[in-house]
Amino acid sequence: MNLEQEIIELLDRYAKGQLSSEEATAVENRIKQDANFGQQAEQHLSLIGALKFHAERRKLKALLNEAHEELERPVKVISMESKTVKRFKKYWPVTAMAASIALISVVGTFFIIQTKENTQATIYKELRRNVEQIKKSQKILLEDLAEAKKKKTAGNFAGTGFLISANGYMTTSYHVVKESDSVYIENEKFGNRRAVVVFNDPINDISILKIDSSENMNLSLPYTISKSETGLAEEVYTLGFPREEVVFGEGSISAMTGYRGNPNAYQVSVPVNPGNSGGPLLNQKGDLVGIISGVQTQTSGVAFATKSTVLLEVIANETLDTLSKPLILSKQNLIKNTSRIEQVKRWSDYVFIVKVFKN
Amino acid sequence: MHYFDELILTEIRKKNEVALRGLYKTHYAMIANLVCTNSGTEQEAKDIYQEAVIAFYEKVQLPHFVLTCKIKTYLYAICRRLWLKRLAEKKRFYGKIEETESFLEIEEELIDSEEKENRYATMTTALDGLGEPCRSIINDYYVHDHSMEVISITYGYTNADTAKNQKYKCLQRLKKLFFERHKEK
Repeated sequence: MNLEQEIIELLDRYAKGQLSSEEATAVENRIKQDANFGQQAEQHLSLIGALKFHAERRKLKALLNEAHEELERPVKVISMESKTVKRFKKYWPVTAMAASIALISVVGTFFIIQTKENTQATIYKELRRNVEQIKKSQKILLEDLAEAKKKKTAGNFAGTGFLISANGYMTTSYHVVKESDSVYIENEKFGNRRAVVVFNDPINDISILKIDSSENMNLSLPYTISKSETGLAEEVYTLGFPREEVVFGEGSISAMTGYRGNPNAYQVSVPVNPGNSGGPLLNQKGDLVGIISGVQTQTSGVAFATKSTVLLEVIANETLDTLSKPLILSKQNLIKNTSRIEQVKRWSDYVFIVKVFKN
Repeated sequence: MHYFDELILTEIRKKNEVALRGLYKTHYAMIANLVCTNSGTEQEAKDIYQEAVIAFYEKVQLPHFVLTCKIKTYLYAICRRLWLKRLAEKKRFYGKIEETESFLEIEEELIDSEEKENRYATMTTALDGLGEPCRSIINDYYVHDHSMEVISITYGYTNADTAKNQKYKCLQRLKKLFFERHKEK
């Protein structure tokens, strides 16, 4: 036996309490006086401690795992599964039939949508020739658009929305949230939140939503809503969610009226796609001048935006009565002298993807 | 304190396994709900809940431990802190866990419990690295307090001295494995 082994042996017996009291005192004294021995002892005793601690904890963990298994055991998962299999075997002809019907309706719908789009194109051509005869409201067109979109995305689809007040009210297009069961909004700053529709204006295609939150929101929005109509040819841009990510698009005001001469909208040459609906249309100062509402099918580069003045009218005349808390609009534009990159950066905190779930 | 809590506490102090098992099963659903509604999974709930129950168990063994609230509240507070910490580590904290009462000592306990969990993990890896029969010999001698004579018979050594030599070699290896990993952390 070498010296170190002897020391270990001594320490083992000390730790196990097998030494006489004189021997134990001698060990303790040596620990105090001999630094080298003290260090060795400390290391060895801590290792023994760690071993005992480890064994104890392992036993505890095993016990808790056992308890956990007992928790899970009463749930008869296995028997349920086998039943499902049996049921499937029993009903598979019915299931197969239901599946084929579903397939046929999906394919069928696809063809119907194709035809519908063609019809819309014809309506548009007639319009160019015979403006007087056609007096259909924009509402019907928008409903058509929303209808077509709804079928394509099978029950739920998305648009864009943005905050208009410091206490959590936001705006989007009416056709985005029409007939919704639940609405969720999401962006990088706020994460995923539930929102409730508090006001609808189908004629002007505007809806007001409130972020459903227990906390009192007190945000400072760096932009304002333009109180005057913007001019023809003014450069504008938009932020929206045609994809899961915010997308920037720019262009200019190409006409002071919307589809079929609608005086409440602009025609804009901003590239927009499904999902841009409800997005903010902004001028050079970063102020809101409109809300993207729709595009003309099969004609590229023509989009429409509801005027911000209409939004202000809606807020002033109609919504206040139905809201539990009044809207607090911001009065100051803090980003008018900054670069567009900076404006977009600030704005994108307040632009949301609006996810709509329908039955 | 609630009568039922008092009973559980007394039994756990006595290291009654049935009581500990019962306690575990009583409050798991609450923690599973806390974690799963705050972007966690059942597995994560199980992990932090076990950590909390062990911390509570060890705390109860301390001679001067006094519980100032219901066991349920205590476990919830620990789990809540643990989960917030995990979320911060994962950097995917979107949800908002409601504040209950704040416990000053919870923070310290958390550090303590983490340090212990680390020590446990270190020893587990060290023992795994040690392999058999070393692991069993070390365990029998230091944890189960078997004598060298018994160990020499169990593992088929010719006499206690050969067993002692073997144990010494095993111990040196374990020491190396354990303290090397310990220093890294």
